[in-house]
Formats: sequence, structure tokens, C-alpha cells
Amino acid sequence: MQSRLTSMSYVLPAFAAMTLVLFAPVIYGFWFSLYRIQYGVQTGFIGLGNYARLLTDPSLGATFWRTVVFASATVALTTAIALCLAVWINGLGNRRGFIAQMIIILPWIISTVVATLLFRWVFLNDIGLAISLARTLGFSNVHPLNDPNGAMGWLIAVSVWKRIGYALIIILAGLKGIPEDYNEAARIDGASDWQIFSSITLPLLKTPLLLIVIVLTLSSVNTVETPLVLTGGGPGSATRILPMDVFDRAFLTYDLGSASSLAVMMFCGNVLLVLAYVRLARWKV
Amino acid sequence: MTSSIDAAAPSRRTRARRVKLPPAWAIAVSLLFALLCVVNLLPVIWGILTSLKSQEDLFRYPPTLLDFTPTLENYERVITSGFLGTLQVTILYACGTVLATLALALPAAYAFDRFEFPLRSTLLLLVVASIPLSLGAAALLIPNYIFFTRLGLTNAWFTLPLIYTANQLPMAIWIVKGTLETIPRELDEAALIDGSDHFGILWRIILPLSRPALGAAGVLAFVGSWNEFVVSSVMVDNPALRPVQPAIYNFIGYFGREWGPLTAAAMMGIVPILLIFILLGRQIVSGLTRGSVKG
Repeated sequence: MQSRLTSMSYVLPAFAAMTLVLFAPVIYGFWFSLYRIQYGVQTGFIGLGNYARLLTDPSLGATFWRTVVFASATVALTTAIALCLAVWINGLGNRRGFIAQMIIILPWIISTVVATLLFRWVFLNDIGLAISLARTLGFSNVHPLNDPNGAMGWLIAVSVWKRIGYALIIILAGLKGIPEDYNEAARIDGASDWQIFSSITLPLLKTPLLLIVIVLTLSSVNTVETPLVLTGGGPGSATRILPMDVFDRAFLTYDLGSASSLAVMMFCGNVLLVLAYVRLARWKV
Repeated sequence: MTSSIDAAAPSRRTRARRVKLPPAWAIAVSLLFALLCVVNLLPVIWGILTSLKSQEDLFRYPPTLLDFTPTLENYERVITSGFLGTLQVTILYACGTVLATLALALPAAYAFDRFEFPLRSTLLLLVVASIPLSLGAAALLIPNYIFFTRLGLTNAWFTLPLIYTANQLPMAIWIVKGTLETIPRELDEAALIDGSDHFGILWRIILPLSRPALGAAGVLAFVGSWNEFVVSSVMVDNPALRPVQPAIYNFIGYFGREWGPLTAAAMMGIVPILLIFILLGRQIVSGLTRGSVKG
């Protein structure tokens, strides 16, 4: 057998990089959040002072609930749409299915900045394609991003659009893992398509579906780009969700004290989701 | 043609036996798919057309589809503002990230799969837990920024490739380890008896056999670093070091409502991704499936 030293030398470089970029900053960030921060410099230990200041900030509660609405709508819609599409594509046969799959993952593969920018230009800009078309059809005065609920609706729509491809691929992998004999046996026993779907397919997709829900939740509660490029958080603060809030606190208003304490709290929330992810990640197709 | 092959090979799974949607649902879902085709392809097509329009054609109402004289003036404006340098830097970042990620992930995955060492399962757990966190968690951004500023590691040529490599590593290790599990250990043992050491096994046996996994992990690492925006927008502010996504974002402020140059920059920014998508689509799908992550 190899010595302990050799084994460790195989994993050490990778862990050195991960420690520097992922693990150490988390610990340093927590320690940093316990200080009063002026102009980016720690000026005195204040314990949980930043947290107290943050939690009494009246805007935070609204931002939190907005994030919950945004994330749950995005996750639910993405999963439901991807599930329907996956079952449909799975029945298409290999070549046609693959092409359909590639068309669906296109928005996922393009960067969020560019995808959101192009979406805005085609569908939401007042001299863009869709609004001009609407005007020709007699709908004048369409300003989809000016209304608070409309803006949130579009933010959710763009986020769903961007993520369907990912969810689709994971569900398709899950579907391919279901032995065909199961469906055939059920069909011989006289089960309908719907019965096969609801009592065989769906239960066997439990793990990939849960995995998707966790990963999509994590990605929705951490997305800065989509609101930044689509709405800038507006109108007012109608689409200001937590990740954008923490980004603005740090890099727009340079309030690193409240930004770091908010980041630490968000990180703790993420860890709960990550623990759920770890339980499911051993799932193999 | 396909049907005759299917008939000749009865063991092959035919379409008829797959789960199918009830007819009403099938129609609804195909309509949904048709809608998605429009919503997915139109922005790219309309983006290309917009980028080729002159200022007058752009503001014409109603917008013209093909009835305009294509011009490259938008591309010229974007290029004169230094965009080619931006693309060059981004390619270097992405390639550096891919090489470093694979070079660090392969030995780590090998050790996790083949060796027993102290803390092995704890470290592996840490890798798996880092997969979803490392890929764009806003919560990690602030601590990372503060820490890197404190150490003076921001705004250097190595800042972004270093961060991207660390971010891509957990998933790459996980994908490669998944493949190593399927390579029989007898091969290692035979090589050991023949006098090879572990490095020789890794280089001559494991590396060639794990090429598909390395390809899948590499493609995802390339796409991930090419598309990354948030980290690069806060970690570097020297324009010479700025990669493509923050550059395009800055154009939004710089060009304002001038969608011509804006879409020209966006189109130049997605060319490499579209090429990879067309040439290596299968690797992307397989990477996603193996890694099961990144929403």
C-alpha cells in the first residue's frame, strides 16, 4: 500500500486551492462580521453589533419574503415544466429527443448576463420586437417592467426560462434509469398511461426531482445577475431579492459591516440546503 | 431506415414501450415546446440581426426583419473600445482554469477512489458539499472579496483563474471520481506488479481511460468560467484584466440605449459558447448528468 504521505500529496493541491478560495474566506468573513467596519477596515470588536443593526433594518423582512416568493415560484415552475418536457422528449426517440434537448438547454448554456440582456431587448424593451408588435396590434402603452408585480413576474419568467434546461437533463437521466420492463409489465396488467406515470415514473423520479429542487433553490437564492441586468431591483425595490441586496450593500453603498453579516446569515441558510444536497448527491444514473 | 434496424435487433428498446403522455397532454407539451423554441432561439437570432443594423434601421418603426443593409459598424465600435483584448483575456482565463482544474482534480479523484488515508471521508464530504456552494453563491462572494482584498490577491492576472479553478474543482473531482469507480482495480494491481508506481498508473492507465469524464468536466469548467460575471466584476477593476461578462455589463451603462453595439458585444461574447454547444453538446449533457449540479 502507498504511504499516507503519498495519498495526501494527491489531494493536497486541490484542497490548498479550495481552502484559499472557499473555506478560509467563510471563517475570515465570520470573524470580520464581528467588527465595526469603517471604509473597509476593522475598527473595533462589536460582537453581534452588525447583526443587530441588520436585523432592525426595516427593509430586510420585505426583501426576505420577496426572495421566498421568487425562489419558490421559480423552483416550482421550472421543475413542473421540465418534468412535462422530459417525459415528452423521452418518448421522442434518440435523435429527435437529443435535438429537442439541445434547443431547450440553449438559454442555460449562454451566460446569464447575455441571456437576460437579449431577453430584455427582444421581449421587454419598448423599441424591441415584442412590444413593437404589440403596438402594431393596438396595445399601446405596454411597459412590462414598470409595474411592481409585472416586474417580479418577468424576473421569475426569465429565471425559469434560464434553468429549464438543467432540470430537464437531470430528469431525463432519471427517466433513462427506469427499466422499461416496469412500464411494460404495468401495461400488460392494463394500466393506463396516466397510471404508469403517476404510480411508476413519478415515484422512481423522487431522487432526481429532490436534487433539482435543492439545486434550483440554491441557485435562485444566490442569483445576482438576473435581477441586476433585468430590473436593477426595481421598480422601487419590487425585485430586490437577497443576493442583490447583499451585493448592493457591499459594492454600491460600501457598507461591508452589514454586507458581511448578511452574507454569513445567507451562508448558514445555504448550508442547510447543502446538507440536503449531500444526502442526495450519491444518486447515480 | 431506423425502423429496419430496430426490427433487426428486437432486444433494442423501441419507442412504443416508453412512458408516454396522454394525448391531450402530449399536445399541450408540444405546444409548450414550440413556444420554448421561439423564446430560446429568437433572442439569439434577433440579437444577430440587431447587431448588423445601422442606427437608423434600429430605430425604424415597426422593426424590420430582413429589409435593411447589413453593416459591421457596431462591431467596429465594439472592437475599437478594446473588446478583442477582453475576449483574449477571457480565453486565457478559461483555458487556464480548465487545465488547472483537470490537473488538480484527476489526482485528487484518484486518491479518493483508490487510497485509504486519514480524514478521507471527511474531505470527500467537504468536496461534495462544496459543489453547489462554489458555483455562484452570492453568500460566498462577500467573504471571498474581503479575504482576497486583505491578502492583496485581487486585481492580479492570477486572481480569476485561481478562483475559477477552486470553484470548478469540487464538481470536477466528483465527475472524475464517478468514472474512476468503473475502472477495474485489477489494472492498477497488474501495473504495480510490473513495477509501475502510482504516478505511472495515473499517467498511463487512469488518464487515458478517464478521458470522457475529463472532457465533460473540462467543458463545464470552460463554460462556467466563460460565463462567470459576479466574481469577476468585483475582484478585478483593471480594464486589461476584465473578462467578457463584466465588459458586456459595463457596455449597458456605456452605450445606454444603443442596442446595436450592445448586441454586437453580446454576439461576440457567445460565439465560443455556441461553438462548444454545437461541437461538444453531448459532453455538456454528460457532464451535467454526471455532476448532477448547477442550476
